[in-house]
Amino acid sequence: MTKLNLILLGVAALVGVIFLGFSTGRMQAWQSRFLDVSTPAIHAGSALSGKISKLNKGLKTLDELEAENAALVAEINELRAANQLRGELEAENRRLRSALDYRERAEFKLLPAEIVSRDTDSWWSSVKINRGFSAGVDSAQPVLSGGGLVGRTTTVAKDLSIVLLLTDENCRVAARVEGTNEQGILSGRRAKGNAAPEFVLNFLARDAKLEPGMKVFTAGVSGGVFPAGIPLGTIKEFRARELDGQAIVEPAADFSKLEDVFVVLGSQ
Amino acid sequence: MIRALVLFAAVYVALIAQDFLPALPFFANARLLLVPIIFCYGALWLPFPAMLGLALWSGLLSDLANLHVIGDQVEIGLGWSILFYVFTGTLLQTLREAFAGGRWEIHALASGVLTLLLLAGQYIMICLRRESFYFDGTVFWHIAGPAIAALFLAPFFYFFFRLFPGGFRQQARRGRRLTP
Repeated sequence: MTKLNLILLGVAALVGVIFLGFSTGRMQAWQSRFLDVSTPAIHAGSALSGKISKLNKGLKTLDELEAENAALVAEINELRAANQLRGELEAENRRLRSALDYRERAEFKLLPAEIVSRDTDSWWSSVKINRGFSAGVDSAQPVLSGGGLVGRTTTVAKDLSIVLLLTDENCRVAARVEGTNEQGILSGRRAKGNAAPEFVLNFLARDAKLEPGMKVFTAGVSGGVFPAGIPLGTIKEFRARELDGQAIVEPAADFSKLEDVFVVLGSQ
Repeated sequence: MIRALVLFAAVYVALIAQDFLPALPFFANARLLLVPIIFCYGALWLPFPAMLGLALWSGLLSDLANLHVIGDQVEIGLGWSILFYVFTGTLLQTLREAFAGGRWEIHALASGVLTLLLLAGQYIMICLRRESFYFDGTVFWHIAGPAIAALFLAPFFYFFFRLFPGGFRQQARRGRRLTP
């Protein structure tokens, strides 16, 4: 190797080391700029991928469309009825809270977003959504789907954000089990294989009386990212360990079919 | 020269495209990595200074695309892939003469090994960061699966890049003739 090549090698290695010395905020700012530049390419890729997947699914027959329409109408009616009941319950809850002089619970604004791409790497679970700071999205905001909590935003660009999914080992949420005083920390698992994703709920009481089918919600710790009462999943299995109890939780949201999500923008 | 520019553009296109490629169900849903295959071709074909440029470009873009910020910290920081590509590229340069003779299998093998080393390195770093080591069949396939896929995909990239006019290989041959 010539002397010039050795110098160039040293300079290239030095560049790598300089980047490694960046603070987290600076790295995130660089990533945000990279996402800004790549947004048109990612959106084009998403549109192309959507078209290919639609072609793969094939065209539906008239009978299939009629059946699908009937099912959707039935679902709309069911949701309307449930929503009406929810409205009544909300009004009653507000009345009772004010009678008890409780603090008014914060209302949140939901911003609809579409998933434009899924993570490439095997070690983290994340997706990119088509909303960024131009729509009011900020980092560390909860993201929901129709089923329940999906994850939280990390890096936010102008029209694109990265969402760390709940199926990631690093996305931890304070959770409580419905109908009990049990609270724990819920997270995903390190490497996701062929099986449907599952959560683990750790730091429960060793002698907790948990049964399969019990619902798990966010606990809403003060100063935390996630508001209280968002569905997380249902208990599948509970086992007592040496020091604490651990439950396996089946997710409320269907992570294999995530397409449309909602970003919780904060109090109105 | 055109081929060199195509290589630099291909790294960016591959980074965007690999997000839309389906997971590999027979390898425990591991994901396909295209950037190591493209970098390998460049490391075996480009002269040393241009290879370093490609290593900086590939490493920086890979890290920017895959940076995961959790709370106030990142598990694998910006710059790690630059160092990885710089050092593996330097090692691959020793095979440049053999590769210039049309040995496509060197590229295929190197792509597999590079992908394996990249993923194994990432996983070891994650385990060190999380202070727990966990290894099972899924983790094995998430490391070995993309490496095997790279081994089989590499020849397609090799013949694709050869469609573009080069320029550096001829220089390498001239250099070899001049060497006593």
